[in-house]
Amino acid sequence: MNTVTITNLTKTFNNLTAINNLSLDIEKGKITGLIGADGAGKTTLIRLIIGLLLPDSGNVEVLGLNPFTQKPELVSKIGYMPQKFGLYEDLTVIENLKLYADLKNQPYDFDKMLEFTSLEPFQDRLAGALSGGMKQKLGLACTLLGTPEFLLLDEPSVGVDPISRRDLMKMVREMISPETTVLWSTAYLDEAHSFDTAVVLDKGKVIYNGKPHDLASTPQEFEEKVIELMGGYKNEPSKIAENYTYNKTFNFDPSPQPSPTRGEGENSSISLPNSPQKGKDVITCTVEADKLEKKYGNFYAVKNNSFCINRGEIFGLLGPNGAGKSTSFKMMCGLTKPTSGTARIMGIDILKNPAKARSNLGYMAQKFSLYGQLTVRQNLQFFAAAYGIGLLDRKKRVDEIIEVFDFQDVQNQKSEDLPLGFKQRLSLACALIHNPPILFLDEPTSGVDVIARREFWNHITSLAKKGVTILVTTHFMDEAEFCDRISLFYKGEAIAVGTPDELKRQAALLNPSPKSSPAREEEGLPTMEDTFITLIKESEE
Amino acid sequence: MIEYFRRILALIKKEFITIWKDPKSRGIIIAMPLLQLFVFANAITMEVKNIDVALIDRSNSVESRELISRFEHSPRFRKFSYVADEKEFKEKIDNQKVQIGIYINNDFASSVKSKKTVNVLVVADGRQTNSAAIAGGYAMQIINSYNSEITGVQGTSINPVIRNWFNPNLEYRWYILTVIIAMLALVITLLLTALSIAREREMGTFDQLIVSPLSSFEILLGKTIPPLIIALVLTLIMTLIVITCFKVPFAGSIWLFLLAVFVSLLSIVGVGLFISSISKTQQQAILGVITFQMPAVLLSGFISPIEDMPLFWQYLTWINPVRFFMVLTRGIFLKGMGFQDVFVNLIPLIIIAIITLSLAGWTFKRKLD
Amino acid sequence: MKILMALIKKEFLQIIRDPSSIIIAFVLPLLSILIYMYGVNLDSVKVTLGIKNDDPNSEISTLVKSFGHSKYVNSIVFNNEKELTEAITRSKIKGAVIIPNDFSTKLSRGQSGDLLIITDGSEVNTANYVQSYSTSIANGWLNTSKFRRLANPVVVNPELRIWYNQDLNSHYFILPGSISVTMTLIGILLTALVVAREWERGTMEALLSTQVRKIDIVLGKYIPYFTLGMISMMFNVFLCVGVFKVPFRGNFLVLFSVSALFLFTLLGVGLTISSKLKNQFLASQVSLGIGFLPALLLSGLMFPINSMPKFFQILTMILPPRYFITFIESEFMAGGVNSIRLINAFFLTILGLFLFALVYKSTDMRLKN
Repeated sequence: MNTVTITNLTKTFNNLTAINNLSLDIEKGKITGLIGADGAGKTTLIRLIIGLLLPDSGNVEVLGLNPFTQKPELVSKIGYMPQKFGLYEDLTVIENLKLYADLKNQPYDFDKMLEFTSLEPFQDRLAGALSGGMKQKLGLACTLLGTPEFLLLDEPSVGVDPISRRDLMKMVREMISPETTVLWSTAYLDEAHSFDTAVVLDKGKVIYNGKPHDLASTPQEFEEKVIELMGGYKNEPSKIAENYTYNKTFNFDPSPQPSPTRGEGENSSISLPNSPQKGKDVITCTVEADKLEKKYGNFYAVKNNSFCINRGEIFGLLGPNGAGKSTSFKMMCGLTKPTSGTARIMGIDILKNPAKARSNLGYMAQKFSLYGQLTVRQNLQFFAAAYGIGLLDRKKRVDEIIEVFDFQDVQNQKSEDLPLGFKQRLSLACALIHNPPILFLDEPTSGVDVIARREFWNHITSLAKKGVTILVTTHFMDEAEFCDRISLFYKGEAIAVGTPDELKRQAALLNPSPKSSPAREEEGLPTMEDTFITLIKESEE
Repeated sequence: MIEYFRRILALIKKEFITIWKDPKSRGIIIAMPLLQLFVFANAITMEVKNIDVALIDRSNSVESRELISRFEHSPRFRKFSYVADEKEFKEKIDNQKVQIGIYINNDFASSVKSKKTVNVLVVADGRQTNSAAIAGGYAMQIINSYNSEITGVQGTSINPVIRNWFNPNLEYRWYILTVIIAMLALVITLLLTALSIAREREMGTFDQLIVSPLSSFEILLGKTIPPLIIALVLTLIMTLIVITCFKVPFAGSIWLFLLAVFVSLLSIVGVGLFISSISKTQQQAILGVITFQMPAVLLSGFISPIEDMPLFWQYLTWINPVRFFMVLTRGIFLKGMGFQDVFVNLIPLIIIAIITLSLAGWTFKRKLD
Repeated sequence: MKILMALIKKEFLQIIRDPSSIIIAFVLPLLSILIYMYGVNLDSVKVTLGIKNDDPNSEISTLVKSFGHSKYVNSIVFNNEKELTEAITRSKIKGAVIIPNDFSTKLSRGQSGDLLIITDGSEVNTANYVQSYSTSIANGWLNTSKFRRLANPVVVNPELRIWYNQDLNSHYFILPGSISVTMTLIGILLTALVVAREWERGTMEALLSTQVRKIDIVLGKYIPYFTLGMISMMFNVFLCVGVFKVPFRGNFLVLFSVSALFLFTLLGVGLTISSKLKNQFLASQVSLGIGFLPALLLSGLMFPINSMPKFFQILTMILPPRYFITFIESEFMAGGVNSIRLINAFFLTILGLFLFALVYKSTDMRLKN
C-alpha cells in the first residue's frame, strides 16, 4: 500500500532540470527520510507532491488523488510544513494555532499540543519574538493539527538546537497514528538513520531508496555511506587555506605556522609580533570579550561574558536557541551595543574604532544576507572593494576566489537564485575576500548538506592552522568537535568553557551513565550531543 | 584617498545594479515619469473649454438672438440647448448636462431699444466652483462687450492694455510643464531613495555593510549618489522633452538650471534617505513617503499661492524643498532668473539637504540597537 | 465560511498589531484635511501688485488708493520703472498697473483711457487674477469717480449666479473633493503590500497547502480592509461636516453606499498591484508612482475634465476618483441628484467588478517557480 506513487516526473526551471524523470513510491504508515545535496531537488519534489508546482511531464498520485487536478481534495488530508514556515510573526502563539485550526476545520483543542511543545507559558507571545527552536515547534504544531494522513516536513530542524531537535522528533512520533505517512526532508543524517526508509536524491533522481539500517547500522557509518552515494568526499587539502595569505596591513608574521593551541588546551597563549602602529603592545587575545553584558529592560540577554580567543583558535559558541549566542555575536562585531563591557578585535575596541577593528574581520551572518540581485561575481567584487582591496588586486582576488570556491559555473547567476549550499559558500567567500585574520561565523552550516559541511569545515580547520582566529556558532554537535574550545551558553550565561573533551568529562562526572547514547567514544565519554544536553539540564537544576 | 574613492565607487556600482537589474523596476522608473509628463502636459489646463449652455430666451427677438450668436461664435462654448421652462433649466444644470445656464427675459428687446438697463441672468454650476467662476467670467465678458457695442464707442471707459511678461499668451502649458518637472522629479527621487535602506534592513544586508570597514559617511555617499544621478538624468530628459516636444522657451542659463536641479534633488534625496533610515520595514517607508509627499505637493505653491496661506502654514513651507525647487525650475525656465535670485532659493535647499542627510547618516550608527 | 472568517480575523489582528495601517486610516485623513482647509485656497487669492502713477491729476490718486483698499490686492507704489521691472522679475510682486500721464485727460474728454496692466506670465493662475482684479478695481473706481457722468450707461447687465455655492467658498468643494484623493491613497496603500508580503514571508505557501480556496484568499483581503476603509471614510466625513462645518445637503445613506463602491474599486487597484507583482519593493514603487499625482491632477478636482482633449477625457474614465469626485461634490452641495448618483455609482460598480475579477485571476494557487 503506497501513499505516493510517482512515475517519470520531470520539472525544469529556465533550462535548469530540478527533477529528472523521477519515479518513486512512498509506503503508507512509514516515516521516509528525504536526503540529498543542496539543489538535488528535495523541496521541488515535495512541492510537486502536494500540487504547489505543476510538472513538465510525468504523473503523481497521492492518497489516490492527482495533486495537479485534485489539489483541493488532497490538501484536506495532508499536513505540509514548508522550509520557511508561514507563521504570522505579528500574531501570538495561540492566535497562530487558532488560525490554522480554523483553516483546517479543527476544534480549538491545543492542550496536548501546547504541552508537547512546552509553549504553554508563551501562548500570548508574538510568534516573531520566539526563538528559532520554538518557532519550528509552533510551525510543526500548526502542521500537525487535524492529524493529517500524510505529513510532509521540509527540513524542519534547520537552525534548531539539539534539545529542540529531539523534541520535534518526539512530537512527530507521538502525535501521529500508525497509518500516518511522513515524508521528512533533512540535512541531519542521524535523524534520517532513525527513519523507516531513506530516499537519497541527486540531481533530480533517486539514487537510493531503502531502509537506512540496510545501508549502515550506526548513524556515523550511515553518514559515510550516504556521502559515498552522493559522489563521495575526498579530503583534499583546502585550496582556500592554501590561497590564504596574511594581508600585510594586519601586522602578522606572514609565514604560516600551525596553531599552537590546537591539542594543547587553552592555556598557551601566543604573543604576536609587535605591531608597528601599536608600538610595544603585545596582543594576547586576537578576539576578546571583557565582561560583556546586554540587558533588555530587566532581562539579561547576555550576562557577564568574558573570553579570550588566541590566534589560530577555533572558538565555538554553543547553546539552545535563544540562549544569547546571537546577541554575544552581534556585540562582538559591533552590530549591537553592549550595556556594559568591551569587545576587542586585535586589541582594538570595536565601538571606539569600528572601521579599523572591522577591517580585520570577516563576518558571515546567520541569515543569507548578500545582495540577491547581484551575481556571484558582483557580490564578490563589491565586498572586495568594501574591504578596501585595490582595483588591480581586486580582479585577481575575485578570480582566485571564484576558482577556489568552484563558482565558475554560477559566477554570473543572481545570488538569490542559488541553492542554499551555494549561498552559504558565497557568504564564506565574501567573508574571506580580504584575507582577514579573524572570522566570525554565525551558524554557517545550517541547512547545508553533509558533503558541503565537511568541505566547509575542512576549510575552516585549515584556515585556523594558518593562524586565522575563528569564532563560530553551530547546532551540529559533530561540528562542535572541531572546535578548540567551546563556550556553552544557557540563559545568557556561559555555563561551561573548555575543550570538547573537557566538557565531555564534566558531563560524564555529572551523569555517569548517560542514557542510550548510540555511540560511545573509546574512552567511554558521552557524545557531544549528550554532553550538551546533560550540561544544560544540570544548569537548569 | 584613492582607496576611499574605490570603496565609494563599489557602493555606487552595487546600488546601480540593484536598481537597474530588475527589468520591472527599471520600467517603472523610466516609463512612469515620462508617461505622466506626457499625460499631464496634454490633459491639464486651467482654461475652461467645451462649455455646454442651457438657454431660455423669453425675448426671442433679433436682439436676443444677436447676443446668443456672440456665445455661439466663442470657441469656449460648445453646445446650446434651448429649454422650455425653469424646471427643465434647473434639471439640465442639476444633472450636469450643461455647465452654464443663460436666462433672457421677455423685456430684453424693448429695453435694449430704449437703452434701459436690463439684466441677463447667467447661472453657473458651483459644484465645480473653480471652473464655474471661470466659465461665468467668460459669459460676463461676452455680455459686457455686447453691451459696449450697443452703447457705442463714445464715452469714458477704461481700456485695459495687458502685457503678460515671460508668457505673452498666458499659455497654461508653459506653467504646468515647468511645475510638473519638479513634481515628477520629486516622485521619482522619493521612490528611488525611500525604500533603499528599509529594504536592506529587511533583507539583512545592512548588517553586512555595517560590519564592513565602510564608515557611515561612505555608506551614506553610496546611498546618495546613484538615486541622485538617475533622478538628475530623468529630470534632464524631461526638460529636453518639454523644450523640444512642447516648445516651451527656455529663457535662463542652462548651468544655473543644472545647479538648481542638482541641489533640489539632493535635498529630496536627503528627505527620502532620512525617511528610509528611520523605517524598519518597507511598509513604514512607503507610509512615510506619502505623509511627506502629499503635503509637499499641496503646500508647494502650485495648487494655491504661498502668500495666501495663514502665517503658520507659510512658515511650514520653509522646510518644503519642493517649494524652492518649483520656484527655481519655473524661474530659470520662464523668467531667466539670475544667479543672485537662484542663490537665495538654493540656501534653504542646501540647509534641508545637510540636515536630512546628516540625520540619515547618524541613524546608521544609532540604529545599532 | 469558517475558513474565510479565520482569514478575516487574522487580517484584523495584523492590522491591530501594525500601527502603520491605523496611521494610514486615521492620521492621513486628518493631515490632508488640515492642509486642504488651511493650506489650499482657490477663491479669494490675494495678490501683491505694483502701482506706478504717471498722471499728476489729483483725481487719479483716488484710483491708486482704491487699489490700496481692495481686500484682494496688496499694493506697493513705485516711482521708478526699473525698480518695478526688477520687482516682477524677482517675484516680489505678481504684476503691476501703470497709469499713463494722459489717463485723466482722456477720461475727462469722454474717451477711453488706456490702463497698462503687466502680469507675471510664469504663474498663469495669478496672472489671470491680476488681470481681472485690476480691471474690476479700475472699473469700480470709474463708476464712483467724477468721470462717471461721461461714461455710457449699462444696458445689458450680466448677473452671475453660482448655484450651490453662491459665495464661491472654495473650501465647500475642495474639502469634499479632497476626500476622494485621500481615500484613493488610503485604499491603495492599505492593500498594495498585503499580498506581496505574504508571498515574501512564505506565509502564502503555508496557506496554499491548506483547504483555503481562492475566493477565501481574495475575500479575506477585501473584507478587512474594506471595513477599515469605511471607518476611515466616516472619519473623513466627520472631519468635513462635523469639525469644519462644510454644509451637507445630501443623504448620508447614499453617500456611504457610493463610498462603499468607491472603496471597493480602490481595494481592487491595490490588490491587483500586490497580487500581480508579489514583491513589496515593486508594489511600493508602483503605488508611490501612481497613487497620488493622477488622483490629484486628473480627477477633475483641480482641473476641469471637460476641457481636456477627447483622448485624455476618455483616459480619465479608468480613474475611480473621477467618478467619486463628481458624486461627492454633488451630494454635498446640491443634495440628491439621482441621475448623478446613478451614473457614477454605475461606473464605479463596473470598475470595481472588473478589478475584482482581475484580482481573482491574479491570485495564484500554486507557486510559479
